[in-house]
Amino acid sequence: MFFRIVSDSFARKPRRKILTAAALALGMAVATATLEVSLDVGDRLAREFRSLGANLLVTPASDTLPLEIGGVDYRPVDAGAYLPEDNLGKLKTIFWRNNIVGFAPFLDVPVAINSSTSREDPREEMIGTWYSHSVDVPDGSKFVTGVSATNPYWHVDGNWFSDDSQEAVAGAGLAQRLGLHPGSTITVGAGDRTQTLTISGIVSTGGREDNAILAPLEVAQNLAGRPGKYRTLLVSALTKPADTFSQRDPATMTPAEYDRWYCSPYISSISHQMQEELPGVEVRAIRQVAEGEGRILTRVGGLMWLVTIAALFAAALAVGATSATTVIERRSEIGLMKALGASYRAVAAFFVAEQLLLALVGGVVGYALGVVLARGLGLEIFGIAPDPRWILFPIVLFLAAVVALAGSLVPLGRASRVDPAPVLRGE
Amino acid sequence: MANRSMFLRILWKLLGASRGRLALALVALTSGAAVCSALLNVNLDAEHKLTQEFRTLGANVVIAPPSGGSDAAVVDAGVMDRIAGVGAPQIVAAAPYLYIAATSGTQPVILAGTWFDQVTKMNSWWKIDGSWIASRDSHLQCLVGSSAARHLGLAPGSPIELRSGDRTVSLKVTGIVTTGGAEDSQIFTDLGVAQDLAGLSGRVSLVQLSVSGTPAEIDAVTKRLANALPGIEVRPVRQITAAEGSILGRIKGLIFWTIALILTLSMLGVLASMAALAMERSRDVGLMKALGGSVSRIMRLFLAEAGTLGIIGGTIGFLIGIALARWMGGRVFGVAISPRPVVFPLTVALTVAVALIGALPLRLLGNVRPAEILRGE
Repeated sequence: MFFRIVSDSFARKPRRKILTAAALALGMAVATATLEVSLDVGDRLAREFRSLGANLLVTPASDTLPLEIGGVDYRPVDAGAYLPEDNLGKLKTIFWRNNIVGFAPFLDVPVAINSSTSREDPREEMIGTWYSHSVDVPDGSKFVTGVSATNPYWHVDGNWFSDDSQEAVAGAGLAQRLGLHPGSTITVGAGDRTQTLTISGIVSTGGREDNAILAPLEVAQNLAGRPGKYRTLLVSALTKPADTFSQRDPATMTPAEYDRWYCSPYISSISHQMQEELPGVEVRAIRQVAEGEGRILTRVGGLMWLVTIAALFAAALAVGATSATTVIERRSEIGLMKALGASYRAVAAFFVAEQLLLALVGGVVGYALGVVLARGLGLEIFGIAPDPRWILFPIVLFLAAVVALAGSLVPLGRASRVDPAPVLRGE
Repeated sequence: MANRSMFLRILWKLLGASRGRLALALVALTSGAAVCSALLNVNLDAEHKLTQEFRTLGANVVIAPPSGGSDAAVVDAGVMDRIAGVGAPQIVAAAPYLYIAATSGTQPVILAGTWFDQVTKMNSWWKIDGSWIASRDSHLQCLVGSSAARHLGLAPGSPIELRSGDRTVSLKVTGIVTTGGAEDSQIFTDLGVAQDLAGLSGRVSLVQLSVSGTPAEIDAVTKRLANALPGIEVRPVRQITAAEGSILGRIKGLIFWTIALILTLSMLGVLASMAALAMERSRDVGLMKALGGSVSRIMRLFLAEAGTLGIIGGTIGFLIGIALARWMGGRVFGVAISPRPVVFPLTVALTVAVALIGALPLRLLGNVRPAEILRGE
């Protein structure tokens, strides 16, 4: 009997039911879309932040004190320690290997260019690095990385050097000083070694590179007489913003806490894992990038959650308004039911069942619409559509039920107080 | 005249008659307007707040003498006065640096002289063990980078003697700095101390600036500085300015689109409840028509009712929205979002428009037949 009344109510006045279901679907669509986007926003923005440059710095553990001014190291070439480049592939075998976006080794060599200064007192800086180098990973795959991955915003007029060539890229300031342009050839010398290089492009970064010459790592290694070595490594990794837990000393953690720390992509746990793979290195977080990134990500995350709450509230408002209307419009129906002896509970149960059924329909349709909407938003804002998260489906259904019931709560209370006689008389 | 006072009286009675129903519509209008004004406020203020957050990234413009090899070229410290003379409020902090080579015992080390009050403002990411040096006149104190401290065996409180050429200076270490960058291997003192030690009084190696604002504003400030400082290079740190621009664009897009969606949704909700209210009025319309009221007059009456509701709801909603925006600003940015006056007319206009559109189904009442309604059909 109960089911017959409910199904009858749907069959007989489909227009009103469609209106409420449509409002529910619309509300849930917006809720789904904002939820999807806010769940995704951390990952997306973290990737955007990688354009700020590397956030981890790897140096030899047993190094002498660097004498750096504006990024230029004034130590003699034979001072300090060097690291071997052949085990860099191991970085892609750590637990969070997929969070390593890129890395680039650096070897700085003081050089003389075109005999502008004597070779005994080289005054120019050559930075040896990779632009886009293929690294062998121990599991047999290849990983292409270099400054193209760690510093995507470096702007080059002309072309970058290819890593196995005798080419170089000149900094804008240096190029102006020496009158270099793409296509010119230079002779660089360090000690008794010389090398002829073709300038393939002019780079402008706003940093120390503007006054240096960038060359393939191998060229710098040969000039410095340090084959297969580098001095510093910049690593760009996707990390989770630091919180109070991540700042604790891992040595003081319980085994369960240690596991949680090890398996979270905090910058401290990633550097710990890198240190395990590369012996004899010191890994430091570049706090300028890591701190700023963490703060902004936390802010935007908080903003998105508040906006999501606002979306849920707006959905509740829309659904509440429509379902309130349908209940008010059906006062005579309620009056008739009561006149025929229906108890308050029976009337309430009938309406609750009806709202839940509507919530189911509205929730399913809304979820589908929301996934489409989230795709559109993701493409519009980040150029990448978020993957639909199935975990949201039951959550959205539950929310739809809550919203539909909450929306009909006030009108239901009023309906229960309906006095059958005047209503049936048409007053 | 009599006509108008009659109109107002009927309007007043209408508003007073079915209070419950009206209250429901008013609640819908108010909450819609509150969400609307809060989100509009957040949207207008978010960019400003975010550009301030980006300043935690530190210097984004560097002023240095024209590049001339690796010689430690220096400029006159008068450059600081000229930067201040440009009077750009976007410049959050400007820190001069003089880098010199010094020795502590036998260990060569780089000494950076700077203004600590500006460094504090610019480099909030520096991690200090010990204490900061807050003022510009601390001639006897210094901060030491973490690698330098390890090599030299220093801790907060240790004394240190630095020598350059035949001059020496004795300082006390107040804090150990960890940044993960080149600062870790340097020692920081007051600018004057470094100038005296190197015999380069009144000279600086470079100036770091932290400029807040949109990419276009930063560009404009850079151009003005370049004009004010002929012969000196003013260059944006491309990595930071470019990344700032692109991330800011993404976040703005994100906020704009989600807020647009929510506004549409909440206005639809308000629309639905206003439409319901209008349909409720069919009996009143029937009675008025039976008494000889013209359709256009009746329409005007109900539109006036809807408009009044819209204005009341919009105003209350705006006030609630401001409180909501303040709270959101406090939660997210730690600073309350200042209310924007432009949001008020926007919110009220939007609410009134929605209320009027919601009253449109009344048009259908034009062909209401009074007899049927009054009979109760």
